[in-house]
Amino acid sequence: MEQKIAVKVDDLTVAYNYKPVLWDIDLEIPESVLMAIVGPNGAGKSTLIKSILGILNPIAGSISIYDKPYDKQRQLVAYVPQKGSVDWDFPTTALDVVMMGTYGSLGWIKRPGQKQKKAALEALEKVGMLPFKNRQISQLSGGQQQRIFLARALVQNASIYFMDEPFQGVDATTEIAIINILKELRKAGKTVIVVHHDLQTVPEYFDWVTFLNVKKIATGPVKDIFNDDNLTKTYGINYKVSIQE
Amino acid sequence: MNSAQIEIQLIASLVAVACAIPGTFLVLRKMAMISDAISHSILPGIVIGFFITHDLNSPLLIVLAALTGIITVVLVEYIQKTGLVKEDTAIGLVFPALFSIGVIMIAKNANDVHLDVDAVLLGELAFAPFDRLIIAGTDIGPKALWIIGVILLITLTLLIAFFKELKVSTFDKGLATSLGFSPAIIHYGLMSVSSVTTVGAFDAVGAILVVALMIAPAAAAYLLTTNLKKMLVLSVVFGIFSAILGYWVAHWLDASIAGSITTVLGLLFLAVYLFAPNKGIIAVLYREKQQRTEVSLITFLLHLKNHSEVEERHVNHLREHINWQKVRAKKVLDLALKNNMIHIDNNVVSLTEKGETFTSKAIDYIITNEDAQIEDMKDDFFLFRG
Amino acid sequence: MDLKEYFSLVFNDYTLRTITLGTAILGAVTGMLGSFAVLRKQSLLGDAISHAALPGIAIAFLITGAKDTNILLLGALVSGLIGTFWIRGIVKKTHLKSDTALGLILSLFFGFGMLLLTFIQKQPNANQAGLDKYLFGQAATLVESDVWLMAIVTGLCVLVLLLFWKEFKILLFDADYTKTLGFNTKTIDILITSFIVLAIVLGLQTVGVVLMSAMLLAPAAAARQWTNSLAKMVFLAAIFGAFSGVFGTAVSASQNNLSTGPVIVIVAAVFVVFSFIFSPSRGLLFKQIRFIKNRRDLKLHKTLAFMHQIAETHEDISHPHTIKILNNFQGYTKGTLKKLVDKGFVQLQGNMWSMTEKGYSTAANLYNQQTDSHE
Repeated sequence: MEQKIAVKVDDLTVAYNYKPVLWDIDLEIPESVLMAIVGPNGAGKSTLIKSILGILNPIAGSISIYDKPYDKQRQLVAYVPQKGSVDWDFPTTALDVVMMGTYGSLGWIKRPGQKQKKAALEALEKVGMLPFKNRQISQLSGGQQQRIFLARALVQNASIYFMDEPFQGVDATTEIAIINILKELRKAGKTVIVVHHDLQTVPEYFDWVTFLNVKKIATGPVKDIFNDDNLTKTYGINYKVSIQE
Repeated sequence: MNSAQIEIQLIASLVAVACAIPGTFLVLRKMAMISDAISHSILPGIVIGFFITHDLNSPLLIVLAALTGIITVVLVEYIQKTGLVKEDTAIGLVFPALFSIGVIMIAKNANDVHLDVDAVLLGELAFAPFDRLIIAGTDIGPKALWIIGVILLITLTLLIAFFKELKVSTFDKGLATSLGFSPAIIHYGLMSVSSVTTVGAFDAVGAILVVALMIAPAAAAYLLTTNLKKMLVLSVVFGIFSAILGYWVAHWLDASIAGSITTVLGLLFLAVYLFAPNKGIIAVLYREKQQRTEVSLITFLLHLKNHSEVEERHVNHLREHINWQKVRAKKVLDLALKNNMIHIDNNVVSLTEKGETFTSKAIDYIITNEDAQIEDMKDDFFLFRG
Repeated sequence: MDLKEYFSLVFNDYTLRTITLGTAILGAVTGMLGSFAVLRKQSLLGDAISHAALPGIAIAFLITGAKDTNILLLGALVSGLIGTFWIRGIVKKTHLKSDTALGLILSLFFGFGMLLLTFIQKQPNANQAGLDKYLFGQAATLVESDVWLMAIVTGLCVLVLLLFWKEFKILLFDADYTKTLGFNTKTIDILITSFIVLAIVLGLQTVGVVLMSAMLLAPAAAARQWTNSLAKMVFLAAIFGAFSGVFGTAVSASQNNLSTGPVIVIVAAVFVVFSFIFSPSRGLLFKQIRFIKNRRDLKLHKTLAFMHQIAETHEDISHPHTIKILNNFQGYTKGTLKKLVDKGFVQLQGNMWSMTEKGYSTAANLYNQQTDSHE
């Protein structure tokens, strides 16, 4: 079966202060997979998705989404940043944050209306946060905040979802709820790319995996490449210790 | 030069040294704005102290004002802890309020207080030599000289006695705690010294120059060295230099001495900011340009190593796939050729043996030694020299 | 002139009306923009910008020799912007941290400005007096054209706020995400920053360079305590700012020898203190009350759990026990027992107590909840 390529990364090199953190990454992510990006701390996992999304400027390389440059395909992509990257004491409500997901399709100046509100409410319903829609976001638990972020991405109604550590600091119930939504997305033909650090749950949650440590170590179906060989290449000989952590 | 002039320069220099020492630590601990807050908020302390003692140079007044400084720090930290506003907002709220109280107190009692707001901001260094300290009928020099001298002596004693603790708690709070020094004591100690110094210097040079003398020499020194001892010495030297040169500029322009010292400090910082050998802006920009080429080169070499396919190694591929501008691609190609890293046959680029070793080693460096900069590798390969 | 007189005059006296209107508008615009500065964690940038504006005023005067407010403010704007960009340059290109950069620019520019001011004062030029009003502000010097300028800038600012409200909000909350949606974050950023600089410069004549930053922060910090909506916060900050401006001006105008800046700042500070203490949702007072109430509830729960343990040992849960047993339990007081009775968890019969069905199930749930949360 020939799968379409959703995301294609070509020769991507990214440096912070001129020290390379990602080196010559070539990556093809097929459509309709649920993919984990794994690797040790400082391996450049977040950097990889931030560069694909144009938040960071790579020094070399190119990104294409369904065979066209990223800039032209932006509306096909949604992003769930790390929960810790924003100020949760910001004066705004859960519904408001989810509404932000519609801003991209609105463009400059135009205000969200009833249609956008309806979409936001639906997304809140999907993540089980509808009863909390008018809560100030600081009054939500870590798991609830993560669900709000997920709902914001769902509103974008994209084809490709990038998520940066969505399971960090969330309760067990939320983790299951989130992974179920992600699996649903994949079933609907969407591509989901997740920066993940809990190696134990990789085979259970994902069907595709990319090993990353500055360079790309391997990428492919979990059942084929999620093995000791690649884990050792990525994490070094002590990878078992890092699983336990 | 008459004796009053010498005395003024001496006072200014002592103030500069007394400010530079706590200033260095404030800059290193990312607390520079606290000095701004203290210098403003001690004003009500000074005014109240003056109501009680009727003497601007009384030790009680200095203690009271320094206490206000500590109260500022405590208040700021208390507001930060409540989480009602962000950290920097807490500073920005506390000191204008306290300063305003001071200004209003001065204005309401203008007839009783020989303080005016200009003096608060600028000090009256020019008049300092006329206020003499007379003990048992003998004139032993200007009061300001003695006050700042004593404060400097205390600061120096504390610095020498607690140098190790200060150093450790500044660079590694966790280690400091595990070694058994309380970071809190060091913190409040430093705040106390800063407050006392600010008060002592306040009368002579005013609120703003105190801030400038604390931050600017330390910031300039920090651009030149990261060694704590050298940084302290440099700050002191910068401080004294600006104090003396500033005095003569003021003399020549017939303008405020404090304003003039600050201006010299500003020019000094500007010069260091532009021309410092490693951290200066010109050096940084030059190095960034260099590094951009070097990283591009390594990227390029790695790409060659990763791909054996001919089409991936075609000269035109640099432009098409790696997405570099034409100019940079050519530059990188030339650099690699010059260093015998690659050879080109029929527009297809291949790594030479030297290129292979270099690239493998480069990968090892980056992956195994996370903190290693490309710089270290350069030393190994002597690649980019000449 | 006392305060009462002032307010009766406001509506009749031309000068007073001008001044009052001016400070009200100024307070409103700084309050609005201050909300953004506070939420972006750029609170101290305002302080640096206002201090950095001083040499611009002096240089504009030296060049033109005129005291035209607009020209002086233009000078202030230019030097304020230079200061802002230099701060950015220092933070971006060197390893000096933002606090050092702010303190540096603030003190160095201000010192240089003071040098120029003292230099100007020594010049044989009769026109030079009055520049020091820019240190602490003198609302009394506002004239109608100044107020017009403020009104125009404020109108422009409100217009831009309304137009780009959505963009401002999302940038403040999550800049990276904003970028992925395809917005040019640099443009939004420059727009916000320029308006903040403009508002600061406008306020220099009234509040002065030394205290201008408080005018930006205080209304916003106070407003934040009363609402969890950005729109309401901006609106409230504008109201608080306008009120601080008017009231501060009134007080300072009714006294001799009092600059406007410090008085306005004190009024604004009163707003802040009041909000910090009495805000219903975030205020310290209610937080303390809630804290005490929670502690009481906890005590109550503990007592109930203790009773539950005793009741569990009997087959009949409503088997009566003596009150004396409870004395062994630390959290027990007569008050807690009475509350438990009031809630219908426990029944009293003389010296004996017994658990009700309701009390038993509540206690059992309590226990379950606790074990749940431990997981």
